[in-house]
Amino acid sequence: MKKFLNLLAKEIRELITLQLFISLLFTIFLFYFIGQMAKSEMKRAMRIQKIAVLDLDASLLSRQLTDSLRSANFQVEKVEDKSKEQAIEWTKASDINLLLVIPSGFGESLTTFDLKEMETYSFLRSFSLVGSRSSVILGSVISALNNYISDDFLKKKIPDFSPEKLKKPVRSKDFVIIKGRMAEGSAMSIAGFISTQSLFIPIILMMIIIYSSQMVISAIAMEKQNKTLETLLTVPISRTSIVTSKMLASGLVGLISAVIYMFGFRYYMSGFMADVRQAAASEGLARVIQELGLAPTANSYLILGVSLFLAILCALAMATILGVLAEDYRSAQSLIMPLIFLVMIPYFLSFFSDIKNLSLPVKLFLWAIPFSHPFLTTQNLLLENYTAVFGGILYMLVFFIVLIVIAARIFSTDKVLTMKLKFRRKKLLL
Amino acid sequence: MEAVLEVEGLRKNYGSLEALKGISFQVKPGEIFALIGPNGAGKTTALRIVATLLSASGGKVTFLGHDLKKEPEKFREKISYLPEEAGAYRNLKGIDYLKFMAKFYAHSEIKAQEFVERGKSIATLGPRLNEKAGTYSKGMIRKLLLARALMTRPDLAILDEPTSGLDVINALEVREIIKKFAGEGISVLLSSHNMLEIEFLSDRVALIDKGVILDSGTPQELKEKYRAGNLEEVFRSALR
Repeated sequence: MKKFLNLLAKEIRELITLQLFISLLFTIFLFYFIGQMAKSEMKRAMRIQKIAVLDLDASLLSRQLTDSLRSANFQVEKVEDKSKEQAIEWTKASDINLLLVIPSGFGESLTTFDLKEMETYSFLRSFSLVGSRSSVILGSVISALNNYISDDFLKKKIPDFSPEKLKKPVRSKDFVIIKGRMAEGSAMSIAGFISTQSLFIPIILMMIIIYSSQMVISAIAMEKQNKTLETLLTVPISRTSIVTSKMLASGLVGLISAVIYMFGFRYYMSGFMADVRQAAASEGLARVIQELGLAPTANSYLILGVSLFLAILCALAMATILGVLAEDYRSAQSLIMPLIFLVMIPYFLSFFSDIKNLSLPVKLFLWAIPFSHPFLTTQNLLLENYTAVFGGILYMLVFFIVLIVIAARIFSTDKVLTMKLKFRRKKLLL
Repeated sequence: MEAVLEVEGLRKNYGSLEALKGISFQVKPGEIFALIGPNGAGKTTALRIVATLLSASGGKVTFLGHDLKKEPEKFREKISYLPEEAGAYRNLKGIDYLKFMAKFYAHSEIKAQEFVERGKSIATLGPRLNEKAGTYSKGMIRKLLLARALMTRPDLAILDEPTSGLDVINALEVREIIKKFAGEGISVLLSSHNMLEIEFLSDRVALIDKGVILDSGTPQELKEKYRAGNLEEVFRSALR
């Protein structure tokens, strides 16, 4: 055990370099910086928006409309004594992005319920979401105003009848059923909320797998490049210990790196996600989630943890075998690519498609990739598909055992050196 | 005197290529035994098999009564191998490298410390031992590695081209160190294509070419047998 710890300590010391620290710090700083920028942009978008209003009508209705805009958080700048063309030019020269023109006779036309058209002018000064946000809000204001006017009209014409019932005679109540549990709510908002909540899992997994694998491949490749592997293989310690210490050290450093990256990533995402979470909370989704049994429990976290851990072990074992094929650090960087693809395929497929609807060959291909299983675990746990969850865990365990046996076997035989011999130096080393 | 290492009919094939065609030799306690021959003769392959890095295709290797095939771990406890193109961990200080290696062979902290102290005196790198190995010159790396190989006082030191790539001064120092330790009872199996070095260092030599040992004996015996002035002439005569 002492020898193993000695080796493990060396592996960790070799991996934790100044370059790693700088790269980690730089990435955190970058994430933080972008996150803060996004946050401030979002805040700016949520701030009071300016709107120029040319009221050529000056009726009660046009005043009501202007007041509605104020209550919808718009700062109304009234354009006085100008024609439409002059108002456009005036707004163009200002920092206001929206101009609303209320035509003359707008209020009067209400009596015949044949309202004159208003005109809105959006000055697109950038193509960002923030740039077009004010016109979206204005659209909502006009829609609310339409409702108000039509409701008012209907109330006057048919006083004993609810305008709501008249406008929407067919109504529905939405219920969602999951595994025998039922709750009132929209399937779309529940699915949206769940996918927002589990968004981080595949990202965390992908980052840990890529970082750890890269480290273990590089560690073996560096041993070869620095000509230290031969010496290490002749010291009195088992080859399995050599393989395990490299995997464990890479796993640990990869995990720490991923946690640090995720910390930075949280800053980054918080810039975009804050209002999504707020919206979810205000819709009372939490209660529905609870009623449907979709709230994660301690057991589900444990199962998810086991699934993630096994996926990392599989990646490390694969990376160890690939590392033996690498001749030096540079070739190790190319060898990591097949592993990255194996992680990316289930990552994107689980994001953009429903696995259940895929054809059988594609499904089999996906299930054969060990990294697919943790991506699917969250969903399967929530839907109580325990066969799929534990089947995936068992598959990954068997996959890992087979790989580790192969890796230890390669290190126990002269293949760890002859693989290189076949590639490059067969004659030179005789 | 009973041999420390016995190699009998050792063969190694890389696919259809026969790198070793059944070579046999012995190394006695405290003896420096050298395999000499041109590049591609099979010296490194033989040393790598004895160092437990490669598996033999045939033949038998015994070390202090242990069979290499059955007990490679017993070999690893008592041998030390210095590969021709070896390096040290670039991010480790020289002293930390010695400590790291010592812990594999020592059964106690005191013993490990003893190994490290001996390593320091062999390496003669002074305060540079406290700097990372990545900053060392080739000569300094070689001395550090030789110190690592000899500090544990192995029963058999296997040294592949120990002075490869070194300047004259460093090569002389390394040769002196090897000679000194062999005098203290460590058996040495080394390979080189530098005949003058072998003549200075070795008690006995084996001439190897194309996987076959052409002849063996003390440098003096071989020179007399082939009526040659030095080992280079001996080798040329043996090839004819």
